[in-house]
Amino acid sequence: MFTLPQKNFRAPTTCLGPTCMQDMDSSHGDDLEGECSRKVDQKLPGVGDPAMLSSGTSYLSSRGRMIKWFWDLAEEGYRTYHMDEYDEDKNPSGIINFGTSENKLCFDLLSRRLSQSDMQWVEPSLLQYPDWRGHLFLREEIAKFLTFYCKSPVPLRPENVVVLNGGASLFSALATVLCEVGEAFLIPTPYYGAITQHVCLYGNVRLAYVYLDSEVTGLDTRPFQLTVEKLEMALREAYSEGVKVKGVILINPQNPLGDVYSPEELQEYLVFAKRHKLHVIVDEVYMLSVFEESVGYRSVLSLERLPDPQRTHVMWATSKDFGMSGLRFATLYTENQDVATAVASLCRYHGLSGLVQYQMAQLLRDRDWINQVYLPENHARLKAAHTYVSEELRALGIPFLSRGAGFFIWVDLRKYLPKGTFEEEMLLWRRFLDNKVLLSFGKAFECKEPGWFRFVFSDQAHRLRLGEQPTFPAQSSLQPSLWPLLFVPTHHAIGASRPLASPF
Amino acid sequence: MSHRSDTLPVPSGQTRSQVLRDQSIYTQLLEVARHVQQTVREHFVQLNRQGLLQERRHTQAIREQEALLSHLLCQMINLLQSGATSGLQLQVPLPSEDSRGDVRYGQGTQLSGQLDPVPQLSDCEAAFVSRDLSNRGTDISALYQSSFQDYNAYQKDKYHKDKNTLGFINLGTSENKLCIDLMAERLQESDMNCVEEALLQYPDWRGQPFLREEVARFLTYYCRAPARLDPENVVVLNGCCSVFSALAMVLCDPGEAFLVPTPFYGGFAFSSRLYAKVQLIPVHLESEITVIHTYPFQLTVDKLEEALLKARLEGKNVRGLVLTNPQNPLGDIYSPDALMKYLEFAKRHDLHVIVDEIYMLSVFDESITFHSVLSMTSLPDRSRTHVIWGTSKDFGISGFRFGALYTHNKEVASVVSAFGYLHSISGITQHKLCQLLQNTEWIDKVYLPTNRFRLREAHKYVTAKLKALEIPFHNRGSGLYVWINLKKYLDPCTFEEEQLLYRRFLDHKLLLSCGKAYMCKEPGWFRLIFADELPRLKLAMRRFCEVLEEQKQDLIVKQLEDAMRE
Repeated sequence: MFTLPQKNFRAPTTCLGPTCMQDMDSSHGDDLEGECSRKVDQKLPGVGDPAMLSSGTSYLSSRGRMIKWFWDLAEEGYRTYHMDEYDEDKNPSGIINFGTSENKLCFDLLSRRLSQSDMQWVEPSLLQYPDWRGHLFLREEIAKFLTFYCKSPVPLRPENVVVLNGGASLFSALATVLCEVGEAFLIPTPYYGAITQHVCLYGNVRLAYVYLDSEVTGLDTRPFQLTVEKLEMALREAYSEGVKVKGVILINPQNPLGDVYSPEELQEYLVFAKRHKLHVIVDEVYMLSVFEESVGYRSVLSLERLPDPQRTHVMWATSKDFGMSGLRFATLYTENQDVATAVASLCRYHGLSGLVQYQMAQLLRDRDWINQVYLPENHARLKAAHTYVSEELRALGIPFLSRGAGFFIWVDLRKYLPKGTFEEEMLLWRRFLDNKVLLSFGKAFECKEPGWFRFVFSDQAHRLRLGEQPTFPAQSSLQPSLWPLLFVPTHHAIGASRPLASPF
Repeated sequence: MSHRSDTLPVPSGQTRSQVLRDQSIYTQLLEVARHVQQTVREHFVQLNRQGLLQERRHTQAIREQEALLSHLLCQMINLLQSGATSGLQLQVPLPSEDSRGDVRYGQGTQLSGQLDPVPQLSDCEAAFVSRDLSNRGTDISALYQSSFQDYNAYQKDKYHKDKNTLGFINLGTSENKLCIDLMAERLQESDMNCVEEALLQYPDWRGQPFLREEVARFLTYYCRAPARLDPENVVVLNGCCSVFSALAMVLCDPGEAFLVPTPFYGGFAFSSRLYAKVQLIPVHLESEITVIHTYPFQLTVDKLEEALLKARLEGKNVRGLVLTNPQNPLGDIYSPDALMKYLEFAKRHDLHVIVDEIYMLSVFDESITFHSVLSMTSLPDRSRTHVIWGTSKDFGISGFRFGALYTHNKEVASVVSAFGYLHSISGITQHKLCQLLQNTEWIDKVYLPTNRFRLREAHKYVTAKLKALEIPFHNRGSGLYVWINLKKYLDPCTFEEEQLLYRRFLDHKLLLSCGKAYMCKEPGWFRLIFADELPRLKLAMRRFCEVLEEQKQDLIVKQLEDAMRE
């Protein structure tokens, strides 16, 4: 999903994400009177100018104004992009989007598959009110699909499956049914920042960050390594600030790091969670987008024995692995029937068309196509695009992280920020945008260190090249400080080179 | 209801006493009470399973016991919870299920009082450690489970003319099943299937521009808007309840309220409670005709003023008025004059007006002209008037999950679209919807005339039956339902008796919805959906008559017994 470029709206030292709509000290937030009597915009840590929120328009409620404020901020880059989207023919000088994590490499395969005659089925039951958990035929297919691709030691069961219209909805529903208002999930950072909004919008649930470092020290064997010590520390910190933590969110394969957790690591995190009676939400939305075999990805569902199966909830969707973010299909797998039922109770707000459910069942059922056509081709194309971009970066001496999973490279541009601040990071991001390149900056992932950017490489080669086209004939002779220009389409580069030169 | 086979895992090293020590005495007792409640419920389920259902009298007795027991337990939980968490007000649950798959409950019924969803625990110990859900998660789940029990029973045991002749017939959920043949045919035409790159990628969260343009054009035409409606004012989400939920979020703060004339579509009550925590304050209407009220359940500005004043005196912050037009469950429409008066009332008090026009094309009586609020040449308060429409009812495709907002207020449109993330529609579906709405010729020449004709026929059939049974009903030629008065079958005329009659229909495999679910003030009203195919409708009406006959016999017996006692 699109990563939200967000302004630096909280102090970098703050450990906790914002509560968007109410303060956090309500222990049972469903009580109408309790919430009513409370001032909505009090105790909002570092959120903009309260005057702006309390005055202004008279049509919206306080929380409506708050949502609007967040929304306007979050959508800034996306909106700018949409107003001036690159198009080969119609707008060749438009903005190229390397910010949104979408796989645009396999549309040809998908469109062919989705146009086949088995996809066009219409029957009355598909047009009427569904089972809100998802049609049974689809849940059966999902259970089989996940059993196979997650390499589950036992067959997974359709009754543990709930179908929703996208991962965002699933985060929202899970946050609502697992947490009270103001409670929190732990999440290692950098992480896919949109989750902040998903859990907050309806659920008013916040995130407590487990900050990871790029530097390899002590027990770490690689950058941004998550350890149980760090989890313990973050948990203690949250408690000391009076925040109740209800669970941990793990994204595996990781976004934006493109890394995976080993089964041993995963096991340790799960044991940690069990020790503290925390739920674990494992977002495996990139599980089939591991294009380097050597990475050795393992789904949490493949583990022989889950430490706490009743508190382990797995998410998957077709958005990434099947390059269909516009299809709006996601699924929850949990053995906990209370959780499944509670999430399903919210599904009337997060349902998807019966016809689409039918199409998804057809797609997931077609193991031959997936195994013999789609996955090999998708992986090959991802690998080629990844190789192309990472070689360019290497040639330029730009450090980056990416181990062969996901659609992105986590690029280290710290050396271009003289003071190493988030303000400079933001300026650099804007400079990219001014030069018609949309990237995502590290702050949006709540990265602790300014200067990291996420570059999405899963785009058609011509767009990648356009974005990266060297502006000077001899690529190798470029000074590192001129590297940002490489993201600039040729005709913009000359004009942009002057203002770029001065701050660096 | 499924039973989990074994006990839930207990975290290692976790003993019951440790758990108990963590909790207050109230919380512990609350847990015990909930567990007892669950056990009792399961016991009755077991009894039903063991075939006792066949013996009607026996079942009836059990049901009464069950009602009493759950009532007592609810009271107990109520008391305990007020001790444990202070101040939560609980009332007896009122399970009922209805259209748009939504749930209704009586005014004032609090979620927390619903059946507890810590079900399927086979071991007392487990009950103390398996509370994985948040309180609100528990509430949401409880409401769903209790409310959808009957709907789910129907889903599992649907009537089929060959395969399951004894299955449930659902005249409770508002779905139009009369034109599914036309829709299925239309949806299989070649223009419906399109897979474009843009449809598979992240959309504009307000809805794809092509669909918003089409919705604006469609509404301009069918609502007879005086000027072209602006696609920028359209937001499309996956269903009208999602639209309502998002509107409630952005127009109200938690605890604030909307006024709703009752009987009122209960699905919105559910929506507003569940996520937005917005209260619906009923403006109670009466069936009786008086000097001022020239027809039953008439909404007047006086009533609105009175309800608003009362709410404000109680310290409620009322932010808006919700109108459903054509009305559900009354099947009535508001005249332009009446509508204008309501809008002026709202303007006078700075209230938003949300007008739900989801049945606007389901006006089947040709002598009636529906006037959309969008057809008015001058709206009293354009920036506070928000219209909801969807295809679920008018096109009988509730499974499509599509709802649209039209508002002149660009700010509201923009902030509602922030909810597009959570209520988005598949690009492929958006394409189909666009194609569907675009084809005005098919809609005008094929679909609408056929749909109206079939609705009229089904309505004629059902109302003739009702007349023969001398059952008073209210229907003025729109919607998919008749609002019927079964007071004469209730003695005493209470909501408890209404609920028992509802249960009796269920025992005869007939699903209806009862008035309490629409916050109706007077017991004894039911909503009956007639938009079903004739053979099924006939059988349903046969069952309906049987139930009433049985009920009548029981009443006679009861009256005799009473007389003898005296």
